[in-house]
Amino acid sequence: MSPRVSNTFDMAIGVIPIALLIALWQGIAMSGAAPPSLLPPPGVVFGRFLQQIVSPAYLEHAYVTLYRLFVGFGIAVLAGVTFGILMTGSKAVASIVRPIVRVLAPVPKIALYPAFTLTLGYDDASKIALVIADAMFPILLATYQGALAVEPKLAWSARAAGVSPLKTLFTVILPAAMPSVLTGCRIGLIISCIVVFLAEMITSTDGLGHLLVRAARNFQTVDMFVPLITISILGLLLNAAFNALRRYLLRGFPEEK
Amino acid sequence: MMADIVSVERAEAPWWSSAGTIPGLPPIMACIGLLALWEVVARWYGLNGLPPASAALPQIPEILTDKESLIDIADSLRRMVTGFALALIFAVPAGLAMGRSKHVAAFFNPLLMVIYPVPKAALMPIIMLWLGVGDASKTLVIFLGVTLPLIYHSYQGSRAVEEKLLWSAAAMGLSAPARLIRIVLPAALPEILVGCRTGLVLALITMVTSEMIARQTGIGNIIFVSLDLGVYDRVYAMIVIIGALGFILDVIFESMRGRLVAWAEPSQAIVVGTT
Repeated sequence: MSPRVSNTFDMAIGVIPIALLIALWQGIAMSGAAPPSLLPPPGVVFGRFLQQIVSPAYLEHAYVTLYRLFVGFGIAVLAGVTFGILMTGSKAVASIVRPIVRVLAPVPKIALYPAFTLTLGYDDASKIALVIADAMFPILLATYQGALAVEPKLAWSARAAGVSPLKTLFTVILPAAMPSVLTGCRIGLIISCIVVFLAEMITSTDGLGHLLVRAARNFQTVDMFVPLITISILGLLLNAAFNALRRYLLRGFPEEK
Repeated sequence: MMADIVSVERAEAPWWSSAGTIPGLPPIMACIGLLALWEVVARWYGLNGLPPASAALPQIPEILTDKESLIDIADSLRRMVTGFALALIFAVPAGLAMGRSKHVAAFFNPLLMVIYPVPKAALMPIIMLWLGVGDASKTLVIFLGVTLPLIYHSYQGSRAVEEKLLWSAAAMGLSAPARLIRIVLPAALPEILVGCRTGLVLALITMVTSEMIARQTGIGNIIFVSLDLGVYDRVYAMIVIIGALGFILDVIFESMRGRLVAWAEPSQAIVVGTT
């Protein structure tokens, strides 16, 4: 097979398991093995999804979720990149931050959520804090790792040209570490997306996660699927958008594996 | 796709710090520092919802000697281990096969990509409708949460196996299935274990999250029962217990991994818990 034919073939067989899954879903729903109250047929769920994503009330909830997601993610990027870069630049910062990161990174941050609700209240702040706590570490570690791997000659040249150490860090090391930083950010973005939804499921009065829980309480099965599909599609779209942004930002960098 | 572990090599510090390796405080010092910070902040603000560490920590032995909460914790851990073991049995062969065959990889990759951004713990209410509130639904959610990184790392590991090893084995007459077990599996083991490490942390996260959402039994439930009763000391004590569990599991696994694949390149990776 020529490469092009093989690529098309590969793409075609990739669709099979997804199609099978939906067919299985449809099959179970049609066979009557599961009543519609437990497993609504896919057509009904997607119909409801299309109906909801144009309804202003639903979009209001989606907007709340997106707001928390982006504020949290933005702060996580700022904090993660700053600490990650400063860790490479200063031995003192590294010797303090590194062990703290070692202890906190494997901790399930979701366990902190009750503490956040107690100290920051049940509104946006506690959810944003959880997003920051969860998304910051991958970004910080990716930045640190990327910055450590930067060709030292780049920094030497900048220093020899009279650039201050701090300025070298942010104008030479950071841009050179960009591929790694952006990888960390992409992981952080998906994490933010998932975490904000879960936080809204645990305690909230609005947002997509709250809609799922509300539907579950009222046994409206169709409406339980819709927010879940929305947040998953949102994750896929954000991931794709970030990849496009990454390709644009890294257009001068050598090709990666 | 997803690299949940970001490795931090304990390399020579770059020139722009002073030369030499970074010494770093031992983790125990970091713990003490964090606790001290908590104590100071709590005393400074005097919030009802933020008791100082000195009030919360004495609750830990009480929780750990209380029979009911011990049963809850044991139940949670049992489900976590079951879910993780099931995921291991399913994901490692799948990942290895994907790494050795382009077509198998092409078959599964789009599906995995679609599943990747789905919040697995959020499936809890739907799965509970189907399987009831018992162990089955909680174990299934943990299984789902852990499977993806395990598949991904097994896939990466088996894809990177040195072809010459396989050629030599084939030349010596080893059959294809035997090559998979005798050559690919050991060669991919370091990467598989990296996946296991991420998976273990994820199993804990998924377990806690699903219990917080379902609020039936388990560790996540203890937190919310204490929260509803307004016993904030206990809430914070539980948070510390869960955090310690995450850290201890990671340390134990790392030392095991170090022995199993002592021949592989050492890495100083730090796991990042993701949901």
